[in-house]
Amino acid sequence: MSASLEAGRYGSGQTVRRIEDPALVAGRGQFTDDVVLPGQTWLAFHRSSMAHARIIAVDTSTAAAMPGVLAVFTGAELVAAGVKPIANAAPFRRGDGSPTATPPRRALAHEFVRHVGEPVAAVVADSLGAARAAADAVWVEYDELPAVADAVSATRPGAPALCPEAPDNIAAEMRHGDAAAAARAFASATHTVSLEIVNQRLAPVPLEPRCVLAAFDRSSGRLTVRLSSQMPTGVLNGLCDAIPELTRPQVRVVVGDVGGGFGMKTGIYPEDIVVAYAAQALARPVKWVAERVEEFTSAAHGRDVVSRAELALDADGRVLALRVRSLANTGAYATATGVAIQLLIGPWVSTSVYDIGVIDMHYTAVLTNTASTGAYRGAGRPEAIYITERLMDAAAREMKLDPAELRRRNLIQPEQMPYENAMGQTYDCGRFEQILDRGLALADWAGFAARREEAGRRGRLRGRGIATFLEWTGGNVFEERVTVSVTPGGFIEIFSATQAMGQGIATSYAQLAVGVFGVPIERIRIVQGDTDRVQGFGSAGSRSLFTGGSAVQVASERTVARARELAGEALEVAPADLEYAAARFTVAGTDLSIGLFELAAKQPEARIFIDSTSAVSGPSWPNGCHICEVEIDPATGAVEVVAYASVNDVGRVVSPSIVRGQLEGGAVQGIGQALCERMVYSADNAQAISASLLDYALPRADGFRAFRTEFDTRVPCTTNRLGVKGVGELGTIGATPAVVNAVVDALDSAGLGRDAERVQMPLTSECVWRALRRDFGPSPFA
Amino acid sequence: MPTPLRLNVNGHPVEIEVEPHTLLVELLRGPLALTGTHVGCDTAQCGACTVLIDGQAVKSCSMLALQAQGRTVTTVEGLAQGDGLHPVQEAFIACHGLQCGFCTPGMMMTVVDLLTHEPQPSEAEIVHALEGNLCRCTGYVNIVAAVQQAARALAASAGSAP
Repeated sequence: MSASLEAGRYGSGQTVRRIEDPALVAGRGQFTDDVVLPGQTWLAFHRSSMAHARIIAVDTSTAAAMPGVLAVFTGAELVAAGVKPIANAAPFRRGDGSPTATPPRRALAHEFVRHVGEPVAAVVADSLGAARAAADAVWVEYDELPAVADAVSATRPGAPALCPEAPDNIAAEMRHGDAAAAARAFASATHTVSLEIVNQRLAPVPLEPRCVLAAFDRSSGRLTVRLSSQMPTGVLNGLCDAIPELTRPQVRVVVGDVGGGFGMKTGIYPEDIVVAYAAQALARPVKWVAERVEEFTSAAHGRDVVSRAELALDADGRVLALRVRSLANTGAYATATGVAIQLLIGPWVSTSVYDIGVIDMHYTAVLTNTASTGAYRGAGRPEAIYITERLMDAAAREMKLDPAELRRRNLIQPEQMPYENAMGQTYDCGRFEQILDRGLALADWAGFAARREEAGRRGRLRGRGIATFLEWTGGNVFEERVTVSVTPGGFIEIFSATQAMGQGIATSYAQLAVGVFGVPIERIRIVQGDTDRVQGFGSAGSRSLFTGGSAVQVASERTVARARELAGEALEVAPADLEYAAARFTVAGTDLSIGLFELAAKQPEARIFIDSTSAVSGPSWPNGCHICEVEIDPATGAVEVVAYASVNDVGRVVSPSIVRGQLEGGAVQGIGQALCERMVYSADNAQAISASLLDYALPRADGFRAFRTEFDTRVPCTTNRLGVKGVGELGTIGATPAVVNAVVDALDSAGLGRDAERVQMPLTSECVWRALRRDFGPSPFA
Repeated sequence: MPTPLRLNVNGHPVEIEVEPHTLLVELLRGPLALTGTHVGCDTAQCGACTVLIDGQAVKSCSMLALQAQGRTVTTVEGLAQGDGLHPVQEAFIACHGLQCGFCTPGMMMTVVDLLTHEPQPSEAEIVHALEGNLCRCTGYVNIVAAVQQAARALAASAGSAP
């Protein structure tokens, strides 16, 4: 047996075949909509066609009489039944000190609708077709109200207000730094630059739409909710907070395969509550699967921040102060995460890898008649880093300095670590100049002039953009519980409340376990997505490996330690005299031994079980240098990314191919923001214009793929025992500014000079063609 | 009104009654329980539902089940022959050509069609063939690499065949 229990090349640091893949490529995945329960019914929503209206009446009589219809629910009925709005626990304040203002986000709209696509009524029927037909037949009488779609318009006097608590539509605001010190720095500065910057609204678009399947078991009184979510425990808590008399022990949330999350599947949605409520009310399984248009109009969007940002520098190019004024569009319902992302998490990284002592930032969260914004890959950090990196390029242009040189002069040095930034965040480690130098070499920074000249001979405008940056990972939830069960059948089962969603975390965990147990990877079973097994925060903020993986490592080691004690008892020797290797304890210097699984079989419960809770000591600060080169066809304005080199300080690497896949797949999402993606609402009536994959431009296979990606593993994270740093969002955060800086550089070279900085994302061919003709459109604040 | 439908799915004859408005993807995922074929949009953009009809890649959300009358349908579940994976499946695993795996079945069916009709595609031809399949995770980097690897594997096995 020992021969077959060699770990082989499957431990940490090895490129392995993912354990997730055989089922997925065979079509044997278990996405939520793949599960059908006996007696299952279907639920469909009637959604608001209006962006802002008072509900006069909801007539469900026609729908209720249609064939196959089992029930119709309205907001009024849910309110009468005691269903509560989704809790908004954000501990933020308005300028006057009052708490975060937002209309109540109800499972089904009641009295008012506040964005297009808001669920108004729900129909349950015995077939999907019957449910959708009856949902169409629900008739709602509205008194239409004026609507507002963007944050700048919403904060103007006389704008339509979304709730009485915020007549100015300001949900919350926050100031950071020292405004007086910043004013002095700007007054004394040799150079100042100022930009108007739009981080446009994006749709996350995981390819698997949301799906919820809830079943109520009368005999046990338990409600099992299966859904596609990054945070099963958060959904459980959200359901129990909203639905009266539903207790936590009653509810089990199960998550199978998740077809992409990107932050959009964190937390609870109104639809989750309706499906769970209906399943309980009807005592039958109820399934809802979102159509893509429902995802575009009612799932969380990301970004949507308009900023005025300024940098003050001395004669040598040292940054004296950073000043930012931002309006963040939270949508119709300000969610706790949506507000935190813009008011707090983004600002945490605004000074990035630079030693900037003085900041003055004012962030305002604004209600509008649009879908709520929340987490989307990067969540606040892409917005903040984009602003800072655009400013660094503007300053370099102003001072006629090499943008890499300007950055170098401002980098935090290794001897300053641990470094507390102006927001009070502490970076545990980082060697930013080392990363910059390697990035410049990888991109052949010095050879750019020749490439630009060569492109010019082909009639192309070539530009080069750089981003040196860091990000914060962790969600600030550092404790994680893991249970381990060693079975007599020869398997080690590891339960974690972090959640797989395509990032390959099960494989990475299995690699860690292989390293501790010394068994082949086939002997490891990673189990996630079941709140009956383990509960916890879930997966968000690139926390899974450094928090969850560290917890797996600790739990595995505790399991071997416990097994050593049990082996000592079984062999009647002191545990310290035992050597462990390849699932076998051997008494040192003898041939006396016992196998790990054999030992498990001897236990009273026929297993060795460990319930382990452990914590990391802080966030991780992955960082990188991303350098992009683009070419513009001046006749069409079309932008082509032609080179992309990145060096990424990711700490130690457990799964190299997975890390590379995260960085490059993430970078394509960042390129998507730079060049093509934008969620559009009409200015006059807040209709969702880009609510299908026909209208919303996702990157396709013909986009850029020839990444040169390097890891720098020489600076392990000190806050977790694995030394790893989160990598899920790094690529996305670096790509957007690197690409836009390259386009601006190309436009500058065409004679636009600093006017080139007026372009706003997405840099479509139309946008760039107009810019080349000095047409930049109105100011975002106009 | 339910209408009789006869077709071959993954090598098995199927006789079933379907409503005239039933989409092929609804038949596959519903009564036939072939849930490897996915639905990612409602406008025929994403390609997650791609299957082969008589060897040609078709978005099964854009075709009525009755239009498959008398035809041969291959879904992702029918790709592997015997115990082994199809070379395209093998290449997607080997090249880390999938992350969440939701787009992967449709993506692979498109690739099988491509490599059947163009065994040695250029990178431009690969990218063109994949235009109708969206992936949000991988950035397509490793998908294109997987197609190239599968083409090499298929060529090698064809060369070694008697």
